Order: sequence, then structure tokens, then C-alpha cells
Amino acid sequence: MRWNRAISAFLALSSTVSVAGATASAPREVLPFIADDYPRALAEARARKLPIFVEAWAPW
Amino acid sequence: MKAFVFTDKALARRTGQFVWLAIDTEKAVNAPFLTKFPVQVWPSFYVLDASSETVALRWVGGATVPQLQKILDDGQAAVGGRGRASEQVLARADRLYGEGKNKEAAEAYREALANAPRAWPRYARTVESLLFALQASHESEACATTAREAFTRLRRTASAANVAASGLGCALELPAENPRRADLVASLEEDARRVLVDKDVPMAADDRSSVFISLFDARGDAKDEEGKKRVASAWASFLEGEAARAKSPEARAVFDSHRLSAYLDLQEPERAIPMLEASERDLPDDYNPPARLAAAYKAMKRYDDALAASDRALVKAYGPRKLLILQTRADIYAAKGDSAAARRTLEGALQTAESLPAGQRSEGAIAAIKKKLEATP
Repeated sequence: MRWNRAISAFLALSSTVSVAGATASAPREVLPFIADDYPRALAEARARKLPIFVEAWAPW
Repeated sequence: MKAFVFTDKALARRTGQFVWLAIDTEKAVNAPFLTKFPVQVWPSFYVLDASSETVALRWVGGATVPQLQKILDDGQAAVGGRGRASEQVLARADRLYGEGKNKEAAEAYREALANAPRAWPRYARTVESLLFALQASHESEACATTAREAFTRLRRTASAANVAASGLGCALELPAENPRRADLVASLEEDARRVLVDKDVPMAADDRSSVFISLFDARGDAKDEEGKKRVASAWASFLEGEAARAKSPEARAVFDSHRLSAYLDLQEPERAIPMLEASERDLPDDYNPPARLAAAYKAMKRYDDALAASDRALVKAYGPRKLLILQTRADIYAAKGDSAAARRTLEGALQTAESLPAGQRSEGAIAAIKKKLEATP
């Protein structure tokens, strides 16, 4: 579908590149993201009584 | 978002308000999360109520920093159950949307809009979510009509691009016999052009880029080859300008995907080679630059170079994306006239697709590979 073409392309653009490929010049994220560990985030959120903000992304 | 939004210092004050979780949907370790919260669009953002493990809010696609601030405010309100009636309805719509119940979510978003005060600060976000829910429910006419109506109010905001692009995409989906099709396509194409002319309105580069894509498709729908070329050329120039302003290789490479699409649409794939070579050099662990090089070389009929690039991509690739790289590889073999290698590659892709864990496994992807295999001699 045309929409899908647009959506998939803009999503690809919105996405990011491998963190492993980061260089010293890259600006750093200011938020303390937990990477790829939902159980840890859930436990922490319950203990601190906070909601979880999730960024679901792909490296493409 | 990682390169342009999550680096903004204005977000630092939010640190203690949420637990922040990044999920790479390609990693098998995240399959259980994806089973619980299926991701349909990348990137997707969720605010989860940790006590009940339910989605309080979902946002799909990119966002500017001010948009993200609003999403965070709304997410907090939705979890806390605060707000007036329209906010309560909005929270219900967001929950339904987060559960992938797009049809029900669209109804609830409409109800929230109908009950909202005149200058409702959540109007833009609600409209954008409604448009996506309508598109996902294949309600193309309602989607296009909603976009048309909302554009007048949102044309000077960061939402203008998404509203125009999604509305135009929906209008183009309408069947030819729909009596409103021509009018909706024409007016939404005009709206989309206005977005591109209005350079003062702050909006994410990816949103502006999506407008070019919709306009290109609209010219294709009109069978206007010259118009298509004009749009693709302007799109490529825009992306090149954005890439030139990028402050790091990561930020520059964010534009590679769209630039490759624009160059392919212009039938000038060779223009992609220098940028992709630079990205492969600067980001040696990233499989995307060689994967894209394979596609560019294939379009140039440089099949051996395409296969070599595909080799380099496959060494680094993981997760469901590997399937796309393998399918491109099969296409390269087929174009080269090596059907046996194309078949072998597709058989490998099928095996990989079937071995993905629940949450990453896609029946649609498996069916597509099988169909391709059947068509390969």
C-alpha cells in the first residue's frame, strides 16, 4: 500500500543506527534508558511506583 | 529519535518521572516483551502502567521534543487516571490503541474529540492517533476526510506533515469508483504541498520526508512521470541538505534509507554509493550500509558487487531484518540468472523465518517467502 510505503520509509528514517557503531562525537541520550531488559524495568517501576516509558525501535 | 530527540537536554528534567526502557525489536531476548506488546510500526512508544502491565498510551512514528513532552504528560495523566471527561475518554482510546484494537480506538478518539473543549491541548496528538487507527482499520475515506478537516487547524503545527501525508496516503487507497476520491486526493495533495512550502513550521525531518513520499505516490497515481521526477528530485535535495547538517555519522546515516529510496525513484542508484560507503566506513558494526549497498548495486546491475555487499551485511545482521537481506540476495541471484542460488537463498530465508521465536515470528513474512519460492524456477 502507498501508505505502508510512506510509513515504512519514514519509520526507517526515524530509526537509528547500531549503538555498537557509535563514535565519540555522537551526542548522548540524556535519559537513562535500560536496554533490552523488560523484567528489570518492570521491577524497578513497581518498586519506585513509576510508569514505564518504552521506546520500541529497530536498527534499520 | 536516538540521534535527534533523546539527546535534547530539555528532556533531562523527566529522568525521575519514568523508568526508561529501550527495546530493540530485532533481538530474540525481547521476544517475550513483543508477545505481550506486539509492535506494528517502528519506532513505537508506549507508556505502561507497571502495576497492571497495561498500555496507558501508544505513539507511533517520530516526534519532535515538544511532541514528546506532550506524550509524556499525557502518559502520566493516563496512568494516574487524572483529567476531565475528554481526557478520560482519550485515556480509554489510548489503551485500546495500545492493545492494537484500532477500530474501537478510532471510535473512542472520535468521542474524545467530540467532547473536547475548543482549544484542547491534546487535539493534535489525538488527531494523529485517530488517523493511524483509521488507516490500520482500512477506513480510508474516514481517514482522508478527517485529515482534510484537521489540516486547516493544524497546518502551522508540527503535526501538519503527518496529517497531510497520512490523509493523502488514505485518499490514494480509495477505489477509483469512489465519488469523493478525486476531490480528496486533489485537496490533500495541495495540503501536502503547503507543508513543504511552509519551511518555518518546526517539524521532524522524517515527517517532512514522508510528505515527499506521499506526493511522489500522488504523481504516480496521476501517471505524471515528469511530476514524479520533480518530487523525487526535490526530495533527494531536501535529504541531502539534512544529511549535510548532521553533526555525527550516526545522525547523517539516519537519512541513508530515505536517500536511497529517492535515488532509486529517480533511477539514479549510483548517487547512493558514496554515502553508503561512508556510512559503512564510519559505522563498521552496522549491517544497514552494506545491506543498502546491495540494493543499490543490484539496481545498477553490478551483481557481484551486490552479492559482496550482501555477504558483509549478513555477517552482522540479526533478527527478522535478516529475512529482507536474504530476499534481496535472492533477487540479486535471480537477476543474475542463477535460479538455483536464488532458490537456495529463499529456502534459507524460510528456515530462518520459521525459526524466529513467538513475538518475532511473522506468518505474513513466511507466506511472502513461500510465494516467492513458488515463483522461482
